[in-house]
Amino acid sequence: VWYHKPAINEELLQSLPNLKVVASAGVGIDHLDLKLLSSYGVKVSNTPFIVSTDTADMGMALMLASSRRLVEGHEMAVSPDTEYFPVDWLGVEVSGATLGILGMGKIGYKVAERAKAFEMKILYHNRNQRKKEEENAVGAVYCKKIDDLLQQSDFVLLAVTLTPQTHKLIGKRELELMKPTATLINISRGLIVDQDALVEALQNKVIKAAALDVTYPEPLPRDHPLLKLKNVIITPHIGSATKKTRWVMMEEMAESIEAGLAGLPVPREVL
Amino acid sequence: TVAGRVAAAMAMSVFVTRRIPAEGLRVLSQASGCRVQQWDSEEPVPRAELLAGVAGAHGLLCLLSDRIDREVLDAAGPGLKVISTLSVGFDHLALDEIKKRGIRVGYTPDVLTDATAELSVALLLSACRRLPEAAQQVRSGGWTTWKPLWMCGYGLSDSTVGIIGLGRIGQAVARRLKPFGVRRFLYTGSGPKPESAAEFGAEFVPLARLAEESDFVVVTCALTPATQGMCNKDFFARMKKTSVFVNTSRGAVVNQEDLYEALAQGQIAAAGLDVTTPEPLPTDHPLLSLQNCGECARAGSPSSGTGGT
Repeated sequence: VWYHKPAINEELLQSLPNLKVVASAGVGIDHLDLKLLSSYGVKVSNTPFIVSTDTADMGMALMLASSRRLVEGHEMAVSPDTEYFPVDWLGVEVSGATLGILGMGKIGYKVAERAKAFEMKILYHNRNQRKKEEENAVGAVYCKKIDDLLQQSDFVLLAVTLTPQTHKLIGKRELELMKPTATLINISRGLIVDQDALVEALQNKVIKAAALDVTYPEPLPRDHPLLKLKNVIITPHIGSATKKTRWVMMEEMAESIEAGLAGLPVPREVL
Repeated sequence: TVAGRVAAAMAMSVFVTRRIPAEGLRVLSQASGCRVQQWDSEEPVPRAELLAGVAGAHGLLCLLSDRIDREVLDAAGPGLKVISTLSVGFDHLALDEIKKRGIRVGYTPDVLTDATAELSVALLLSACRRLPEAAQQVRSGGWTTWKPLWMCGYGLSDSTVGIIGLGRIGQAVARRLKPFGVRRFLYTGSGPKPESAAEFGAEFVPLARLAEESDFVVVTCALTPATQGMCNKDFFARMKKTSVFVNTSRGAVVNQEDLYEALAQGQIAAAGLDVTTPEPLPTDHPLLSLQNCGECARAGSPSSGTGGT
């Protein structure tokens, strides 16, 4: 299964009586009804490790592109209407700023490793606090309350799994807690953000900018306000989009399927 | 009053060649004995205005877009004591002529290091992950659905990064790239710099080898007669087809026609440029028509903290 197609529902499962294993690309499994699949005796696998590095890179790319206004700047440079570059065309520095990571899993932690090299102050929130050594290695400070992280961060990066608990984790209240100079970066799932609240927050300058690799739906309808806002960068869910990683994903999925068909333990099985 | 006239006569006049961030202007204006005249525009000061403005000036605050040569120095006259440039590069200053006249020169070598290094990395990531292209596809409706091999770029993990000019900015770039899983750093320049290179285990190699072996090439050297046009046809021909080229030094280090050919023929995969010749490029310049060439309009050094210094 690449992306979330085909939709695996009761109807499909009933039409595939011999189905033994579903291999899903990527790490997210929010599109799969695990209970349903389990009731049909179907095993599920994903590709949780290989996507971490590229997705973390993407998080950094979005944060940097947003803060230094790269997409805007590119358009200015290539536009036939540009006559000069204003010297006070300023961005904001990432170096030395505060990054708040919501969700310090594999991907969140890799973002922290990268951000540290930019001398960023790193705050994080996670279901469970990380070990002291892990925190110290990246200089990350645990925020037990999300509110503390939101209030102090210049950049808020979402790297959580989509679950019923994280659905609309970032809503109007959370956006209002953020600094008016802050940027929201989302490399997890669109549904983690209350998108309508985000549009309003951006339009009313409650937060400064957003950079999103994920939205809901994907793609957005052509007339969606997010597509028109100057302070938003949207990329088409390309977090893991490098040839090398996609090849490994395909190999891993094939391997999981082969094992499942042979009745052997399935590598990267989701339980 | 006599005192007033004496004070006026003693006041140093400073000519500022552009509208600059308010904090910087305030420092000058509030300095006692300092009288500021300014070309208060976002546009570069025209030559005639520059020559008129420097006449009788004791101090000159200029930008890298102002060519300060003998003609300007003559127009200023013997009272000119100091020139400050809002940059770390000084290829726009006729240094020999300036030194001959005993004029002191100030520049901004450290304060913009982080911002410029950061921008170099930002450009690199933007180019290798195809950000402007991808963002454009989202807005134009080119993104219909998710496809496994669509919009794929190149990752930094296990890569070789080649830095041309391991100075302050080059080192700051390497420092930021290290945790992205770069396997190997190469560098080139006028000579090896073992103390600087040690932090990254960087290997000093000839320019040709750097081109051949790097997955990412970042140019962070000064513009000198030796580096002018250094990145040319031969250089790009040696680079990998999958490689990414980033320039945040000076446009003149790169032969732009050769860069265009290399990108158009697929000799290299992508480029990110903060600097070009001239700036901005004319609207019909072929580089602007390429999907795999990202430019960011000199976003290199100013960021709201730095510009005011």
